[in-house]
Amino acid sequence: MNSIESLIEAASHDMFNPVLNFEIAKKYEELEQTASAVSFYLRAAEYGYESNPVIVYTSLIKMAHCFEDQSGREHSVSNALLQAIQYMPARPEAYFLLSRFYERSQKWQECYTFAEMGMMYTTRLDKLPADVEYPGAFVLLFEKSVSAWWLGRKEESLEIFKNLLEQDIPDYYRSTIQYNIDKISPNATV
Amino acid sequence: MNLVQKAVENGGKLAPLVIKEGLSKGTGLMNPSIFIDDNGDILVNLRHVNYTLYHSENTQKFPSRWGPLSYLHPEKDINLRTTNYLMKLDKDLMVTNHTLIDTSELDVEPLWEFVGLEDARLIKWDNKYYVCGVRRDTTTNGVGRMELSELNIDMDNFTAKEVSRLRIPAPGNDNSYCEKNWYPVLDKPYHFIKWTAPTELVRTYPDEPARCEQVFHRDSLKVPADQRGGSQLIKFGNLYLSVTHEVNLFHNYLSQKDGIYRHRLCVWDDDLNLVGISPEPFSFLDARIEFAAGAAILNGDLLISFGFQDNAAFILKVPNVILNEMVQEALSYEFN
Repeated sequence: MNSIESLIEAASHDMFNPVLNFEIAKKYEELEQTASAVSFYLRAAEYGYESNPVIVYTSLIKMAHCFEDQSGREHSVSNALLQAIQYMPARPEAYFLLSRFYERSQKWQECYTFAEMGMMYTTRLDKLPADVEYPGAFVLLFEKSVSAWWLGRKEESLEIFKNLLEQDIPDYYRSTIQYNIDKISPNATV
Repeated sequence: MNLVQKAVENGGKLAPLVIKEGLSKGTGLMNPSIFIDDNGDILVNLRHVNYTLYHSENTQKFPSRWGPLSYLHPEKDINLRTTNYLMKLDKDLMVTNHTLIDTSELDVEPLWEFVGLEDARLIKWDNKYYVCGVRRDTTTNGVGRMELSELNIDMDNFTAKEVSRLRIPAPGNDNSYCEKNWYPVLDKPYHFIKWTAPTELVRTYPDEPARCEQVFHRDSLKVPADQRGGSQLIKFGNLYLSVTHEVNLFHNYLSQKDGIYRHRLCVWDDDLNLVGISPEPFSFLDARIEFAAGAAILNGDLLISFGFQDNAAFILKVPNVILNEMVQEALSYEFN
């Protein structure tokens, strides 16, 4: 794998190239140097605006991850995700991440709303150039279900959870959903 | 062409400076200052901050909530905090040792939001190691003064401890608001270039009471833009060299601040007359905010330490052939 040094030396002749900036950013993020990563992700987003939309979208999401890692910068996390949605509104990933962000801050209506909005775009399957913590469309339903319960929609929440258990989902989500069902409705049959 | 590309294409090298994962909490590592010791050890002071500088470039489609240029500190802590690491590099400019400089014995409760010693240059004078930068946390309105901190460095265990701290008054009546970016003259103990052009050389003293006097203030080569420090002033044959910066600070139509930094090589004669300057400013890696705080000569090559957008730090080896070219270009400069 390329080192930061070789990546930047190679990029030095073309420092406005969004793909090269993106690769440097990913390497810094791997090293947990998230401030450095933000610099290069932001450059990838700004200089790729017209030419590399998937790089731009992914970079904005990755910036949100970096700010999240640094902690205490919640406005910067949500701002980067909103910018990703604004730039490419017909993809589901940033909606999910923003919904999850609001779940973690117990803003249930926002959580529910962004989950619902993301569900309109789950059929799009082309892959992003980096993992952005979006394992599939079911996570939007999961966020919707969690927030629904806190919004007083107990039956809706329970129904979504039960439907999710019938899908092929990762064990972590399966056990979490089962736990939630047991809490919501101990006598429910699944 | 940026300087990194030019240097690398001619046999130079770019070395990133990072410290072990987990220590920095991910926030900015910036504005390193390189120094080569008498025994050849390559040492660096590396500034660590608690913020991430956010700077939108190009057409600025993705500004932060606070504008295109902002300091993203923790949202519940408005302080911009600096600590400093001492590093040792091998001959390939790889980091072999690093340690947080222990300032605990001399720290006092900060009174302003910029906390710590900022953009410190690494120096050795009279066989003592120092870092010298600006501190702005000693008054409630952020008055900045250069502070000279002596370090006790244990090279065997690689630890560094601040053992004295001297706040240097401005020469004269000491009533300015902020003094910063004075650059130390490495072979003239306690001397600093305070202004590049016209040139003001000042001298301070390592003992109490803190004092500072003007050695000279003289006309110099006319420069195309105000030059600010900068690397240390280092010896190069019968000349001196420094890398200085110029800055264009401005506001957009929403009154949000923005800026562009560029650098030049300054060439000085043996009597510290400015005799040359890069005719054109240069960038290291084509970012709008970059900052050089150190320089050293190693086997005829120039090592420049610089920060990238306050978020990343590098050492650039400029090979001798390019260095000589840059010096000749600087000496050929004529003010129009």
